[in-house]
Amino acid sequence: MVSQMDPEAARNALDLVFHMSNILDTGLDRHTLSVLIALSEMGFNPEALSAVVKELRRETSDSSSVQSTAPSAP
Amino acid sequence: MDDGDRRALDLVKELVHRLLSTTTGPHRNPNIPSDQQYHQALRYAIRILSSRMTPSIAPDESAMVESIKRKLATQGKSSDALTFADVYTKFSSKTGSGSVRNKWAVLYLLKTVSEDRKIQKHQSTAVASNAFLSSALSGGLPELVGNEANRNLGLRNDNSKDSRGLVGKLGKIDKGYSDGSLSDEFQNLNCVSDNSRVVRGKSEVGKGFSGGLLMVSKDPENLRDMAYKEFVNLSKEENEVSEDVLVRDVLYACQGIDGKYVKYDEKADGYVLPDWMKVPRATRSVVRKLCELGFLFRKVKGYISESMNQFLAQDVGTVGQAFCAALQDELSEYYKLLAVLEGQAMNPIPLGTESACSGNYMSLRRLSVWFAEPIVKMRLMAVLVDNCKSLKGGAMAGAIHMHAQHGDPLVNDFMKRLLRRVCSPLFEMVRRWVLEGELEDIFAEFFVLSRPVKDESLWREGYRLHAAMLPAFITQTLAKQILRTGKSINFLRVCCDDRGWADAAAEAATAVGTTTTRGSLGYGETDALESLVTEAAKRIDKHLLELMHKRYKFKEHCLAIKRYLLLGQGDFVQYLMDIVGPDLSEPANTISSFKLATLLESAITSSNAQYDGCDIRARLRVKMMPHNTGDRGWDVFSLEYDAGVPLNTVFTESVMTRYIRVFNFLWKLRRVEHALTGTWKTMKPNCITSHFFSKLPQAVKSQLLLTSRKCQVLWDEMNHFVSNLQYYIMFEVLEVSWSNLVKEMELSKDLDDLLAAHEKYLFSVLEKSLLGERSQELNKTLFVLFDLILRFRSLADRLYEGINELQSRTTAETSINSRDKVKSRGKTNDKSSEPGSWLGEGRKALTERTGEFLRNMGNDIDAIGKDYATIFEGFISQLPVQQHIDLKFLMFRLNFTEFYSQLQPITRGKLF
Repeated sequence: MVSQMDPEAARNALDLVFHMSNILDTGLDRHTLSVLIALSEMGFNPEALSAVVKELRRETSDSSSVQSTAPSAP
Repeated sequence: MDDGDRRALDLVKELVHRLLSTTTGPHRNPNIPSDQQYHQALRYAIRILSSRMTPSIAPDESAMVESIKRKLATQGKSSDALTFADVYTKFSSKTGSGSVRNKWAVLYLLKTVSEDRKIQKHQSTAVASNAFLSSALSGGLPELVGNEANRNLGLRNDNSKDSRGLVGKLGKIDKGYSDGSLSDEFQNLNCVSDNSRVVRGKSEVGKGFSGGLLMVSKDPENLRDMAYKEFVNLSKEENEVSEDVLVRDVLYACQGIDGKYVKYDEKADGYVLPDWMKVPRATRSVVRKLCELGFLFRKVKGYISESMNQFLAQDVGTVGQAFCAALQDELSEYYKLLAVLEGQAMNPIPLGTESACSGNYMSLRRLSVWFAEPIVKMRLMAVLVDNCKSLKGGAMAGAIHMHAQHGDPLVNDFMKRLLRRVCSPLFEMVRRWVLEGELEDIFAEFFVLSRPVKDESLWREGYRLHAAMLPAFITQTLAKQILRTGKSINFLRVCCDDRGWADAAAEAATAVGTTTTRGSLGYGETDALESLVTEAAKRIDKHLLELMHKRYKFKEHCLAIKRYLLLGQGDFVQYLMDIVGPDLSEPANTISSFKLATLLESAITSSNAQYDGCDIRARLRVKMMPHNTGDRGWDVFSLEYDAGVPLNTVFTESVMTRYIRVFNFLWKLRRVEHALTGTWKTMKPNCITSHFFSKLPQAVKSQLLLTSRKCQVLWDEMNHFVSNLQYYIMFEVLEVSWSNLVKEMELSKDLDDLLAAHEKYLFSVLEKSLLGERSQELNKTLFVLFDLILRFRSLADRLYEGINELQSRTTAETSINSRDKVKSRGKTNDKSSEPGSWLGEGRKALTERTGEFLRNMGNDIDAIGKDYATIFEGFISQLPVQQHIDLKFLMFRLNFTEFYSQLQPITRGKLF
C-alpha cells in the first residue's frame, strides 16, 4: 500500500514536517517523526497516534521520576 | 498476515522504543528502559492505536493550519506563525510519490502533541499520570486520566467504519505479536467497540467508567461539549424547525430575501415567523428582533435602487447620488459581514480543542450579538433615508449634518464618514465657485443660485443665496462670503473682461495649502474651507477693487457726476443756464434735444469742464424726460451721465434716476436763483430811475416808490431764502456727503462695501436735500415756494417793464426826435432835458393808467407776498419736525436774526 517512495521527495517532506514540528515545539526528533508519518500514512488515526506519543512520554517521564526516587524509598 | 501489517507492527515497536528512549532526557536516569516496561508500553500503544479514538473535528486541512497559526499568533509568536505558514505552503505544494498524503493527519498530530507538551511544561509534574502506569503494570485496564485529574471524563464515541477496520487490523497485529498476554487485552478492546454507542449525560459516563470502559479525556471541556450537544438534541425535539434553519432564514431575511419560514409580512411590515409554526415564544421574539435588520435593510436598499433608477429620469442630484453611493458602501460592508456569518453558519467552525464551543453552528443568540452593531448603523441609515427622501442638495447635507450631532462616538463616526462622502460634491461646488467662479449645479443643489440677467445687474441680482440649500455647518457669514467671492470672479469675467483673477485665485489656493484640483476639501474641515474662502475672497476682492479704481476710475466718475449732475461745477452750470434758458422757456414738445446737446457742448467748452478728460465729457448727455402737454422745457430738461459697462453696476438705472431727481431739484433751485438775480438786474435802484422818479408827479411818484419798495423787500426775502437754501445744499449736504464717501471708499474692502458706501452717499444727499420720502410735505412746500418766486419774478418783470414803458412813453411824448437814439442814453438825455413833459396833454390819462397799473401791481405783489409769507412760515415750522435729518444749520441760517421767530411768537416755542 505504500507506494515506492522517492527518497528525495520523502526527505524533503520530512524536512518540512520537522521544521513545522520544531516551530510548534513538539519535542519530537526526526526519526520519531518519520515513524509517525509512516504510521499516519498507513491509515492510523492521528488522534490515536498523538495519544500514544503523549501517554508514552508521560509514562517515561513518570517512570523515570519513579525510578529516580525509588532507590531512596525502600 | 500481510506485509503491511508486519510493517505497521515494526513501526509501532520502533515508535515505542524511540519514545521511551528519547524522552528520557540526558539529565534523566540513563537507564535503558527495562524489557518489562517496554513490553507494557508497547502493549499499551497497540491498545490505544486499536481504540476508536478519532479527532473531534472534521478533517479540514486549511482550517487546521489557520487554527495553528492563530494559536501561534495569540502566543505572541507572530514571526513563528509566518514561518509556519511559509513552510506549510511548501509542504502542501508537495504532491505525488514520496510526499505525505494525509497532510491533515500530520498537522493534527503535530498540533496535539505540541499542545500536550505545553500543558506538561506548565505542570511540571504530572498529577495523575501515575495512575496509568500502575494500572497498566497491574495488568488491569488502565485509566487515562486528564491532566487536571478532575474526573471530567468523556468518551468520544465514533462509529466510523474506518476505525473498525483499523481495530481489525490491530487484531491481526496482536496475533502476530508473540506475547500472548496481549490477546485478552484485545478481546477487551473488541468488546469496547461493540459496546460503543452514543453515550450521553454524566450518569452514563459514570456507568461507562465503572464498567471499565476506556475513557479518553481529550480535553477538560468535554463535559460542556456534551451538555451542549444534548441541549441541541433536546431543542431539536422540541422545535419543529431546527435552529440552523432559523439562523439561515434570518440571514436571508437580513438580505431582504424571504427564507423558508421567515417571510416578509406586508401587514406587520416586517419579517416574521408564520403563526402556525410551533416555536417557543422566546425564539419567535428573537427572530423578530433580528429581522428588524432585514426590515431596515429593505428600506435602505429600496431607497437606493429607487434613486438609482431615477438618476437619469429625475434630478436626484449629485449630493443624492453621493448619498446613495455612501449608503451602498456601507451596505457592502454589511454584505461582507453577512457572508462571513453565513459561511460560519453553513460550515462547522474548526475550533481548537481548547475552545469551549465546539457547538458547530451559528445560533440565533450569537447572531444577535453579531447584529448588535450593524443594526445600529442600519437604523441610522434608515432614519436618514426616511428624512432625506424628499430633500436634495445642500438641504440633504444639512439634514444629515443635524443627525451627526450625536454623542455616541459610533454614531458620530459613522455619520462623519457618511457626510464626507455626501458633502464631497457640495464642497467641490464651493471650491470651484470660490476659485474658478464656475457654478456647476445642474440640479440646483448649491446654496448659490444664479439667474440670467443683464450684465449691469449681474452683481446685484445675478446670484443669490438659497437659504433652503444652505447646510447648517456653513454659517451665514461664510455663505455670504462664498457668494461674494464667486460673484466677484464672475463679475470680473463677464463685466470687466479681466483674467487677472485666476492668478489671485491660484495665489489664494497656495496660501491655504490646498490644491486647485478637486477633492481637496471635505466635511469636517470647515476651518480649511473657511480659510480658503477668506483667502480667496481677500485676494479677489482686492483685485476687483484695484480694477475698479485704477482701470475704471470709479472715484473720478463719482466726482464727475457730482460736478455735473449735482451742479458742483459752478461756472459750467451758470453758463449752461444762460444759454439754454431761453430755449427751455418754450413748450417742451417744441424743443429739439439736438440743439440742447449742442448747447451743452458749448457750455462745456466755454467752462472749466473742458479740461476734464474727454472720456468724462463724452459721457455727459442731455436727457429730455417724458413730458405732458403744457410742460415747459424747464420741467423736462436734465443731464445724464453714462457710466459704462462695469461701473453701471454701481450707477444702475435706479441710481441714475435718483441722481436725476437730485439734479432736477438743484436745477430748479439754480433756476430760481438765476431768475432772482436776473430780476435784481432790472429792479435794482439806480440813479437813472431815481432821476426819472423825481420828475414824476407827486402822487404817481409816491405810488411808484411804494410799489417798487414792496417789490424789493419781497425780493430780498426770497433771495435770502434761496441763497441760504442753496448754500445749505451745496456745503452742508453735498460736500459733507462727498467727503464721507471718499473716506468710506478708501476703507472699503470689496465691491459690496463700495456699493454700500455709494448707496449711503446718494441716500444722504437725497434725504438731506429734502427729497426723501419722509420730507415729501416739505418738498412740496418748497416747490410751491419756488413757483411763487418764479411768479414773483414775472410780476416784477412786468412791473419794471411797465415802468420802463412809462419812462419811454414820457420821453416819446416830450421829444420824438430822440426816439431813435439808444434807449439808455436817450433816457438820460430826455429826462434831464424835458422835465415838463408830464404837463403834456395826454398827461392826465397817462397818470390815471399808470396809477391803475401800479395799484394792480401793488395788489399782486401784496398777494404774492402774503402767499409767500404764509407758505414760508409753514416751511419754517415744518423744518424742526424733520427729525431724521439735521436741519439745524439751515434753520439757523434762515432765521439768523430770529426775524421769523419774532414774527411768529406762537411757533417760537417749537423752534427753540
